[in-house]
Amino acid sequence: MAAPVRRSLLRVAPRWCRLERRSAGLLGVRGLAVEAAPSPRGSPWRLLGALCLQRPPLVSKPLTPVQEEMAALLKQIELERSLYSDHELRALEEAQRLAKQKADLYDEADQEILLVQDVEDMWEQTFLQFKPGARVTEADKKNDQSSLQRKLDRNLILLVKEKLGDQDIWMLPQAEWQPGETLRGTAERVLATLCENNIEAKFLGNAPCGHYKFKFPQAVRTESSLGAKIFFFKALLQSGDFPQPPKQSRHVWVCKEELGNYLKPKYLAQVSRFLLDL
Amino acid sequence: MNGGLGKVLCLRNDPVFKQAISLFRCRTFGENPICSMGGFLLSTRRHYKSRPTHGIGRYKHLIQAQETRKKGKVEVRPINVGTDYEYGVVNVHLIAYDMALAESCAQHVHNLCNHYSIKVEESYAMPTKSTEVLRLQDQGNKMFLDSVLTTHERVVQISGLSATFAEIFLEIIRSNLPEGVRLLVKEHTEEDFKGRLKARPELEELLSKLN
Repeated sequence: MAAPVRRSLLRVAPRWCRLERRSAGLLGVRGLAVEAAPSPRGSPWRLLGALCLQRPPLVSKPLTPVQEEMAALLKQIELERSLYSDHELRALEEAQRLAKQKADLYDEADQEILLVQDVEDMWEQTFLQFKPGARVTEADKKNDQSSLQRKLDRNLILLVKEKLGDQDIWMLPQAEWQPGETLRGTAERVLATLCENNIEAKFLGNAPCGHYKFKFPQAVRTESSLGAKIFFFKALLQSGDFPQPPKQSRHVWVCKEELGNYLKPKYLAQVSRFLLDL
Repeated sequence: MNGGLGKVLCLRNDPVFKQAISLFRCRTFGENPICSMGGFLLSTRRHYKSRPTHGIGRYKHLIQAQETRKKGKVEVRPINVGTDYEYGVVNVHLIAYDMALAESCAQHVHNLCNHYSIKVEESYAMPTKSTEVLRLQDQGNKMFLDSVLTTHERVVQISGLSATFAEIFLEIIRSNLPEGVRLLVKEHTEEDFKGRLKARPELEELLSKLN
């Protein structure tokens, strides 16, 4: 898993060098606000910053049969090797004392107010009152793709449907880069304009995690815009969500396998390179 | 010894004895009959200075000499160099109530760093903190002691993390965290370093007297 990640990094680096050579000063990756070069000498590529908003898993994955057996075995070994805890020592002492009382047939003056048995019963009661949350939620059963409660043990990624030309395409939310801001600033702007509710997300770093380059169809191509380069930035969702119920199904939260149902093949190939799914 | 034997037996010029002597000479000056002699412990090939095997097993001159750590403090300023934005010294804190879990997680992070060739400056533990959980009794206003929770913290100190890799590294650690362990990543500061040292009440008293 480390090797393909490294390769993608190496491949991104020469792209940056090429951009540096072509558009001197247009590279905003360094985190410095830079002025735009004069447009006739600028590069024919349009720059777009895209946001890969991930909802981290809320629940751990269930163990495989091998892992369960191993866990049970290790637990048993630990139990057999461990020493008695305070509570267990107290229980043993009490059991001895009760047995002695029964044998001697007279009440001792100093009796414990709270026996170990009573304490354990109290704990049992409080444990039975505790109800853990469900792992398989309603959204899972209905397979509601636009809900955040689905697939609690996987990473979910946000996809939006946008109009490009005359087609409706599913893609990661993106926006055009404005001169004077960094590419990460573009991604943050995308986040802010996504939804009226404030969605809070944490960016892990200033560097993009992936890129996608495409040329416009011949009809749209002009002298100054040959195509577009999209740089993806990863962010982890902290809080906030789209308003429920979702309107017109413009957004969807999907996990890595379901991306294939929505994205175009080449786009999907580039996107799935930086998606870590453990 | 051979000479002595020869002198003793030279009185008899028997061909049998001459054959025996020549065989003896072959046995001691020839190949080392380890297997027939009964074990390598009886081998007589020692690594003297004159032998070609002198110094066999010497390896310290081949490895890079490790810097000897002095007891004083090491002040490292964060490195911001051009396009290669590198973090200075970064602390990865792993906090858990279960000590075995915290330690095994710290071990996992350390192994990850070794695998990705990230330099680990040191890996230490912060002092354990105990929290007493007091619960309100069902019938009455008195609080009683329910349990004592111990919080354990393990720190892995890393240097030389590049900005592009830091993101991926953080995500790997975050997605591999076991249940019950909290992750905290921050840059190393003076306060972090001072927090590990014990407070010296006499020194503080003297300082306050001076002021």
